[in-house]
Amino acid sequence: MTSLRRWCVVAVVAAVVVAAPLLPRLVPASASDVTAAELLSRVQASGDQAYSGYVETDGAVQLAVGDDFSDLAELFGDRLRLRVWWQDEDAWRVNRLLLSGEEDLVHDGERTTSYDYERARAVTSRDPDIRLPRTSDLVPPSMGRITTDGADADEVSRLPARRIAGVSAPGLRLEPASGQTTIDHVDLWADEETGLALRVEVYAGSSAPVLTTVFEEFSAAGPEPDQVADTWSGQVERDFDDTVDLADAANQYAPFRVPRRVAGLERRTAGTGAVGVYGTGVTRLIAVPLREGDADDLRESLLGSPAAVATDTGTLLAVGPVSVFLTSEGFSYVLAGTVTDETLLRAAEDIVAGVRLRGRFE
Amino acid sequence: MIRVELSKLLRSRRTWTTIALIDALPTLVGVLLAVTDLGPRPGEGPAFLSAVLTDGTLFPLAALAIVLPLFLPIAVSVTAGEAIAGEAAAGTLRYVLVRPVGRLRLLVAKLVAAMAFVVLTVLVVAATAYVVGVALLGDQSVQVVGSTSVSGTSLSTPELVGRTFLALGYAMLCMLGVAAIALFLSTVASSSLGAALGTMSIFVGSSLLLTLDASEAIRDYLPTRYWLAFVDLFRDPILWRDLQAGVILQVAYVAVFFAAAWANFATKDVTD
Repeated sequence: MTSLRRWCVVAVVAAVVVAAPLLPRLVPASASDVTAAELLSRVQASGDQAYSGYVETDGAVQLAVGDDFSDLAELFGDRLRLRVWWQDEDAWRVNRLLLSGEEDLVHDGERTTSYDYERARAVTSRDPDIRLPRTSDLVPPSMGRITTDGADADEVSRLPARRIAGVSAPGLRLEPASGQTTIDHVDLWADEETGLALRVEVYAGSSAPVLTTVFEEFSAAGPEPDQVADTWSGQVERDFDDTVDLADAANQYAPFRVPRRVAGLERRTAGTGAVGVYGTGVTRLIAVPLREGDADDLRESLLGSPAAVATDTGTLLAVGPVSVFLTSEGFSYVLAGTVTDETLLRAAEDIVAGVRLRGRFE
Repeated sequence: MIRVELSKLLRSRRTWTTIALIDALPTLVGVLLAVTDLGPRPGEGPAFLSAVLTDGTLFPLAALAIVLPLFLPIAVSVTAGEAIAGEAAAGTLRYVLVRPVGRLRLLVAKLVAAMAFVVLTVLVVAATAYVVGVALLGDQSVQVVGSTSVSGTSLSTPELVGRTFLALGYAMLCMLGVAAIALFLSTVASSSLGAALGTMSIFVGSSLLLTLDASEAIRDYLPTRYWLAFVDLFRDPILWRDLQAGVILQVAYVAVFFAAAWANFATKDVTD
């Protein structure tokens, strides 16, 4: 065999190994005649559909919010690898895969257990009325439901189908009618039969999504019971915590009561807690009271960003689609959400003016 | 010819010195952990290192995670890079080729010898780490059967042993990919140092590219992309996705670079 022929053999071997992984992508997706309104309603009602799979997320929101909210910065600013087993809203497991460990959430009825391999610890909490976002919110079906929550049929249109994790999925574009959100549009592709979103892309003005979450492997078959059960080994330290996170703790113990409506947005939760979540879908904000020390730390973190603006009433930082405002008059409240700066500042004014002491402090 | 190459490998003082140096690092780490009882903070340090303070039987895996990203591939690059270029530089390649054996068989023998070096090194590191882990690490006051998977469930001792051997085999395969690249460069470069440095620059470059968002389109083809996927063997259930991709990728690298070594070396003029 001549030298040229030998190198031709090498070239063919190289071409085959480079092209082989690309071949599945060439399989076209099947066209679908489902209407946008019908697909929207299926996505919104998909909470109790069983599924399992492997998810990758890619966030581009760089939140400079300090140590207390570092988990949030990771959720929306990093690449995450997740494994999910979802029986229904009451029984699911979401494992966040780390290079050297794992952080898992196991939900059972009204309790959620968070497990950290490197701490060898599993902490169980009851499900709170209000909490900060967590990994289970980032899996495509959850993100699909969150972003389309409250959306009307006239806000959505069909996109061509795409093949995602081997499933031919019709697409849907949501263009929110509200002028108060920073989200320009949300593109999602969902399993036509179950309405489970398989890929969600959130856009905030630029051509690249600020958040993408997608199934790389997907099965519409439900998980085995032990896959969503509490099966920690005896070497894992077990504990119970009264609070899930900072927002839950503040909601339970801070002696305040937030107003029912801020900046024209209704409070999503009933009760008389100190934390308020307002709005629907992608027009959403949260208001959390902070202790003075925590507020000072957060203010320092915010001011560390060149984009931060100090106003008479507080400190504002807008990072991509997320705006954060920390009040400096009255009680220290931090407000954050995918709303415009004007909406956030109006909401802060309403919070400062409307917050009341509750219980024995009244 | 394979027997000759293996004999040369095993009789070489440099082979054993290299293995001893690679073995020294995880052993030192194990001793320091045992003395200070200070593990890395969660999220920091090599995989499994934070767990060995409570379960010493996991130390072979931590040792693998310590040597796999840098020290082992450097040693493999040097060993395999010397295969042809070293013989040429020493002036012995001509005499090797005088023997009535084909050049393809010589390349196969060199690759097998490089692989034998990898197997020997990994086994020595794992065995030493097991002894150090059981003797010095772990919570000696707690008598438990089996271990905890990365997902928090129980792993029986047979499961742990089986998965540990799978992890060692996977690491060996990853190093076979490095050896194939080094062997090809050894047929191209005139010195073994050039071949070794060329191989190292490829996997250092690969590790760098993996950190860049801009390299998204090629990341699944980078040689170091799945090196640490052996951790997935210890999840429950095992996550086969990256392991399968890693095996296919390394087999592809071996196929392409061994074929390139053959294509280049088969009719190369050998004057040294």
